[in-house]
Amino acid sequence: MTRLVCPFCGPRELREFEFYKTLPAGPGSAFARIYERVDRPELSIEHWQHVEGCRGWLLVHRNPSTGAVLETRLLGGAAEGGAP
Amino acid sequence: MRYSAFSLAWNALTGNRNWTPAWRDAAPQDYYDVVIVGGGGHGLATAYYLTKNHGITKVAVLEKSWIGSGNAGRNTTIIRSNYLMPGNIPFYEWSMKLWEGLEQDLNYNTMVSQRGVLNLYHSDVQRDVFARRGNAMRMHGVDAELLDREEVRALVPYLEFEDSRFPIHGGLLQRRGGTARHDAVVWGYARGADRRGVDVVQNCEVTGIQIFAGRVSGVETTRGVIRTNKIALAVAGSSSRVAAMAGLRLPIESHVMQAFVSEGIKPLVDHVITFGAGHFYISQSDKGGLVFGGDIDGYNSYAQRGNLPAIEDVCEGGMAIMPVIGRVRIVRSWGGLVDMSMDGSPIIDRTSVEGLYLNAGWCYGGFKAIPASGAACATLVATGSAPDLIKAFRLSRFATGHLLDERGGGPFPARQ
Repeated sequence: MTRLVCPFCGPRELREFEFYKTLPAGPGSAFARIYERVDRPELSIEHWQHVEGCRGWLLVHRNPSTGAVLETRLLGGAAEGGAP
Repeated sequence: MRYSAFSLAWNALTGNRNWTPAWRDAAPQDYYDVVIVGGGGHGLATAYYLTKNHGITKVAVLEKSWIGSGNAGRNTTIIRSNYLMPGNIPFYEWSMKLWEGLEQDLNYNTMVSQRGVLNLYHSDVQRDVFARRGNAMRMHGVDAELLDREEVRALVPYLEFEDSRFPIHGGLLQRRGGTARHDAVVWGYARGADRRGVDVVQNCEVTGIQIFAGRVSGVETTRGVIRTNKIALAVAGSSSRVAAMAGLRLPIESHVMQAFVSEGIKPLVDHVITFGAGHFYISQSDKGGLVFGGDIDGYNSYAQRGNLPAIEDVCEGGMAIMPVIGRVRIVRSWGGLVDMSMDGSPIIDRTSVEGLYLNAGWCYGGFKAIPASGAACATLVATGSAPDLIKAFRLSRFATGHLLDERGGGPFPARQ
């Protein structure tokens, strides 16, 4: 994994992007939303920001064991955690 | 066999034919009083102190590969107790004291070298922050010295003092800090535990945790089912994955951190030097290789290998503070998994499953904690109650708000 494909800017070098967090474990308590993580070895759903580009917030699906990027798209509404 | 000058001489004179293996290659039995998952430093130390301090010898350490093949062999071997928070300093100082007596205790040369850990500061504000840290350490009886620029220059004249983006204003020095040989620590604890009756079982991966009526009843492994009433997880880097076998979700993300070794050069770096402003730290091994690293890669990962942007970042940091190493070649780099917790501090606690104990969340600083973590975790497992020195490491602190946030960076594991 050396690049991410920004929906606005196209494929860009990884260092332009900043990882924010993996998605919370679920819609449970405030504690679970803030602190608990799923952390699965085969699928990680993450918030990233294209900080050195369009500054768009991205929802990235990755395989954290291989580094393969499965999907990158613009972060949607509250259902996906929303932009912080 | 007890190691001594006499045993060394005797074995040399008899052609080195009579050395015995340092530990048995044990096969798993059907039942143990305590099963420890993870044959790294923390797991083996827990087993050792269970037998030594609590007399519990029916113990197995299960390791999926060979002992020390995970993070125990991937760290940069630094030991120190230069913390700021009241919950951290006494624990890490306890660990430091155990390091100071470890070789005699284990009868094994763990190559503890108290060469001094120097943290550089680069502004008046950072000096104040470091002075506060040093004062906090001294109030807890830990040694700390605040050096000015010229004192640092006298100590490490080869750093960049004249023309850098972050000019060196001074440093905070802990002389008792230093390094230890990470493999020897694992081997020493394995040998010590084995001599007291612990089964160190290698090539035995845990695939499931059996729970009956809210209590652990056994572990499923690639070498069969083992019955037990107490399980301690010491699998930092993979804690979330293993804890999920018991239905637990942890306040942890797994990240990868890289380290590097250069070709061997003549003695240059006599201390451990950290350049926090540029994300770079360095020491020199006894073989002459420069051992250095920097930040974690910065995103969730289960791959035990790192990525190029982090390598570039570390090397830029090195060139900024220490341009003298510019023509030294890197011979190896590797990545290790780290449990990044939500406040940057570890977790040693019971869990909601009766009989399941958690030793996790060591972020990028687990190596230095091995002796105290093992001793504390052993007490917790043996007696059911946590010793005072790990009261701040409770799992419940995230729910109650008693975070131990050394950095104060918020609930973002990647930024601790």
